[in-house]
Amino acid sequence: MTVMNPTRLFRKKDPYQNHISRTRGEKIGGVIICIFLFALSLIMIYPFWHVLMYSISEPERALGGGLFFYPRGISFFSYSLVLRNAQIWIAYKNTILKTLFGTLISVVLSAMTAYPLSVKRLRGRNFFSMMIFFTMLFGGGTIPTYLLVKSLSLIDTFWALILPGAVSAYNMFILRNYMQSLPSELEESARIDGAMAFTILFRIILPLAAPSLAAIAMFYGVSNWNSYMDCLLYTNSTSLQTLQLYLRQVLLQTSSANAAMTVTGETSEYVSDTQVQMVIVAVSVIPILIVYPYLQRFYTKGITVGAVKG
Amino acid sequence: MVKQRDLRNASGRGYLSKLARDIRMDFLLYVMLLPGIIYFVVFKYAPMYGIIIGFSDYNIVSGFSDMPWVGFGIFEDLFTKAAFQRAFINNIKISFLKILWGFPMPIILSILINEVKNLFYKKFVQTTVILPHFISWFVIYGMLYALCNLSTGAIPEILKSINAAFGTDIEVVNYLAQKETFMTVLILSYLWQSSGYGTIVYLAAITGIDQQLYEAAMIDGAGKMRQLWHITLPSLRSTIITLLIFRVGSIMNAGFDQIFALSNSLVISIADIIDTYVYRIGMEEAKFSLATAAGLFKSLIGLVLVLGTNWIAKKVDPDSGIM
Repeated sequence: MTVMNPTRLFRKKDPYQNHISRTRGEKIGGVIICIFLFALSLIMIYPFWHVLMYSISEPERALGGGLFFYPRGISFFSYSLVLRNAQIWIAYKNTILKTLFGTLISVVLSAMTAYPLSVKRLRGRNFFSMMIFFTMLFGGGTIPTYLLVKSLSLIDTFWALILPGAVSAYNMFILRNYMQSLPSELEESARIDGAMAFTILFRIILPLAAPSLAAIAMFYGVSNWNSYMDCLLYTNSTSLQTLQLYLRQVLLQTSSANAAMTVTGETSEYVSDTQVQMVIVAVSVIPILIVYPYLQRFYTKGITVGAVKG
Repeated sequence: MVKQRDLRNASGRGYLSKLARDIRMDFLLYVMLLPGIIYFVVFKYAPMYGIIIGFSDYNIVSGFSDMPWVGFGIFEDLFTKAAFQRAFINNIKISFLKILWGFPMPIILSILINEVKNLFYKKFVQTTVILPHFISWFVIYGMLYALCNLSTGAIPEILKSINAAFGTDIEVVNYLAQKETFMTVLILSYLWQSSGYGTIVYLAAITGIDQQLYEAAMIDGAGKMRQLWHITLPSLRSTIITLLIFRVGSIMNAGFDQIFALSNSLVISIADIIDTYVYRIGMEEAKFSLATAAGLFKSLIGLVLVLGTNWIAKKVDPDSGIM
């Protein structure tokens, strides 16, 4: 006769329910937690909802203010005004290009740095790792970096939006740690078969490191989309303006009828400043909302696969 | 493997020849590493050389070639500036408040989320709380503006109708432009933006706890609170310590992105931090030496704090720490 494992027995009954019946206090506690978390979720979502509902309401009715649980009438007039403006398309184009090329360059550079550092026999591996790790602890600062970018003649070029922040030491280490956890026999046997380092990286290691590769691609992508310091510091011309800075420019003009003027080039009685601002906020956040389900999945994976150890 | 060992045995014994051989064998790996190393040398280490601006009288016309060395003169000048002292104090104050409110929040939230038994609901809550992390601070500023502005904002309208309905006299102000309320806006928006994101790590750690521990505790009659105190929190201990080191070590980073987006000239006296100070005197007033000195001061304190907290953490718990 086999000895029964008591925990096994209880688990069979119901995997989610505690096997000792919950006390009344615990049940009430559970309900309170659920209600609290629901309220919290509402607080997290409402600002997004507010902006979206405000932006599609009829302009005069939106001026009433208050909470917007549903749009007050539907009008896409402000959207058509905003989207008719050339500058927003320039800003959109720059942000998309920055996100695509910036992320591509960042991921390739990070992978090419991470792989050699994950090969345990490589001489100087610890030295190079420490050298990169140190940049996470200490840096030259804003002004020296600005002067460097200036002396490289990158000011007011598209490269200034991509190169200064191309590799994040943190992301590189996430990737390296993941590659280190792959069995080293893979690399060794491929080498014996005569595969070159680049072939091994792109054909064997990267496909296996896909989860962490996707995660850092997301990290880079989101930070490229949202960052504005590089654009603020290193570019002056409006042809290189990114979406975030365009948003800033429009949001800061709250004093008079400026926002609508800036965007549409005309003051229209049918449109309010606030609504134009809300439309631009909506326009810059909608792409993020669309890809958010993927972002969340890969982010969660990425954060849990790699803890940084120097 | 065989090929490698044969090569190693065949060549000479001197350190240099061994080195040369190892480099030759992994030549392509070094080639691959090169662009990354060049990146870090150029964009991270070259600016560290630029720190000498903080010890010299730099002017933009003559540049690096002709700048008189003044030693700690710039720093002496910096420390007497009232605006810098103010920025330093604000920096510590804002960071401290953010740690005080913001550090426990993800831990509490993860424990609560973990109590939800319905998987669909759990997923829903997780998805919504992480969302704010993915948007920029200018978008958040836009949302705050929509909620707080006096003419069409949501909150002033609600307060006005409460006042009208109950005859109360709640003062309706623009929270973004008042010294008294701006710190609250700063902390609350920070909590809104970052708390959910912080739960990812803790939830992963909680999921990793062996369920049999809870079952054993329940059989012994431990209630929820005792399970929390004796199982969940001790299991999270090393995660909490490691994250706290990172957090305390980055106390000098009070959140430039947030403050730059949210603050305005009306609240500058309580919102100006070292980073915004550096940006203002460096990029707007072109006082490069002073700004570099301020930035360096900040980085050095940050470095000492990270190393210090890491050292303490290792004493407390040898498994934790970042190095």
